[in-house]
Amino acid sequence: MSNSIELFIVTFLWTYIYLALLAIIGLAIYGIVFRPNILKKIIALTILGDTANIFMIYVGYRYAYPLKPPILWSWEPTPEDISTFLAQSVDPLPQALVITAIVINLAVTLLICFIAVQAYRLYHSLDVRDLAKLKG
Amino acid sequence: MYILHLIMTAICLTLALVFAYLAIVSKDLLMAVVFSAAQSIFYALVFYLLLAPDIVLAYVAVSVGIYSALLVFIIRKTERYEKV
Amino acid sequence: MKRMEHIIAVGMVLAVALIAYFITHTWALGPIPPVELRGIAKLYLRGMMSKTTPFYVSSPEAVTSILWDYRGLDTLYETAVFFLAIIGSVTVFRLLREHEHMVEEHRKEIKVPGMTLIVKLITKLTFTIIMVIAAAIALHGQITPGGGFQGGAALAVAPLLAVAALSRYFVEDVGLKERTALALRTLGLAIIGLIALVPLMLIGLGGIAYFMQNLPKPWARYVGFPQWLYDVPLGGSLFFYNVAECLAVGAGFTVLFLLLSIPEKIYMKVIEGEKGE
Repeated sequence: MSNSIELFIVTFLWTYIYLALLAIIGLAIYGIVFRPNILKKIIALTILGDTANIFMIYVGYRYAYPLKPPILWSWEPTPEDISTFLAQSVDPLPQALVITAIVINLAVTLLICFIAVQAYRLYHSLDVRDLAKLKG
Repeated sequence: MYILHLIMTAICLTLALVFAYLAIVSKDLLMAVVFSAAQSIFYALVFYLLLAPDIVLAYVAVSVGIYSALLVFIIRKTERYEKV
Repeated sequence: MKRMEHIIAVGMVLAVALIAYFITHTWALGPIPPVELRGIAKLYLRGMMSKTTPFYVSSPEAVTSILWDYRGLDTLYETAVFFLAIIGSVTVFRLLREHEHMVEEHRKEIKVPGMTLIVKLITKLTFTIIMVIAAAIALHGQITPGGGFQGGAALAVAPLLAVAALSRYFVEDVGLKERTALALRTLGLAIIGLIALVPLMLIGLGGIAYFMQNLPKPWARYVGFPQWLYDVPLGGSLFFYNVAECLAVGAGFTVLFLLLSIPEKIYMKVIEGEKGE
C-alpha cells in the first residue's frame, strides 16, 4: 500500500519537473522570436542552452535510494566494491557531454556579444527592425 | 528521504521558472541581467541536487560570473532601456 | 503593469502543477522513473581502476576519464572551437598600431585610476586567493570533481575583478599585456597538441600506438604515461591535459576583458577618421 502511494508521489514530482523544464524552453523561444532588442535575444538564448543542459542531466537520474555521484572512493577496489558502485551511482556520460555543451554555448555567446557592440558603433541602433532596413 | 531530494528540486525549478519569466518580460535590461543571474543560481542548486558536482564548478563560474559581467560591460557601451 | 506580470507568473506555476497531477492520476505515460543503469554506463564505470578489464584508465573520477580518455577527440575539437571564438572576438575589436597612442594619451588624462582605497586593498587579497583555488581545482582533476575547464573558468574571474576595481593600467603594469596573454593561450594549446602526438613518437621504443592514447591496451602496447606518483594516482595523460587546458582558458578570458575595458570614445574617433576619408 505504501509502495503504491510512494510510486504515485515520485511519478507526480518527476512529471512536474519535466513539465517545468518544457515551460522554460517555451518561454525562452518566445523571448528569442518576439523581442526586437539584440541583448534580450542573447539573454533568452543563454536561458535556452542552460535548460537543455539540465534536461540532459535529468535523463541520467535514477530511482534507487542510496544514490551517489560517479566517483570511486577507494584506489584499490575489490570486486564487491565495484558491484556496490554500479548499484549506487548515477550515469556519468551525460555529465561529460554537458561540459562540452557549456563551453560551446559560451564561445557562441562571446562572439555574438562582440559583434553586437560593433553593430551599435556603426549604425547607432540595437533594434533588429532598424538593422533589417539597411541597404548594402 | 528520496522524496525529499525530489521536492527540493521541484521547488528550485519553480523559482527558476518565475525568474526566467521576469527576465524575458522586463524592459530595463539591467534588471533582466539581474533576474537571469538569480535564475542561474537556482540552476546551479538543481545541478548539485541531481548529483553532478563537476558541472556545478563550471556552471557557477561561467553563468553567474562571466555572462553577467560581460552583459553589464556591453549595456554600459550601448543603451539601457529597450524600446516598445 | 507590474502586478499583471506577477499574476501571470504565479498562474503559470499553478497550470504546470495541475497538468502534472492529471497526467499522474490517469497513468497516461506509465511509471516514469528508470531503475537500472544503461549498458554503456556500466561499460565505462567498470573499467576505471580495475586492471582486469581492457579499458583501464587508472583514475577514480568517471567524468574526467570520459572527457579526456574515452571521448578525447570530442574535447580536442571543443577546445579548438573556443580558440576560434577568441580569435574572432579579438579581430572585431582590434586597434591598429597607429591608433595605440590614443590609449596612452587616455592614461595620462586620468589622475587617480580605480576605486577607493578599501576596495583596492580587498581586491588585491581576493585576487591571490582566487588564483590559488583555481590551481587547486585544476591540479586535482583526476581524483576529485574538477579538471581543466573548471579551473580555467575560475581563473578567469580574477583578472575581471582586477580590471573592474584596479583599472586596466594596473593589470598591464603587473605584466599581463594583451600580447603576453595571447602568447600564454597559444602555449597552452601547443602543449595539448604535443601531448596528443607523444604516443605516435614513442612507437620507436616498441609496440603499436594510436593518436591521443593514454595507457597501453592489449591490441596497442607501448610504454604508456606514468600512472602513480608515490601513492597518488596520476591518471596517465589526464593530469597534463588538465593543467594545459586551465592555462589556455584563463589566458583567453584575460585578453577579452582587457579589450572590453578600452573606453568607447577611442573607437568612435577611429570610426570618424575612417568615414571622413
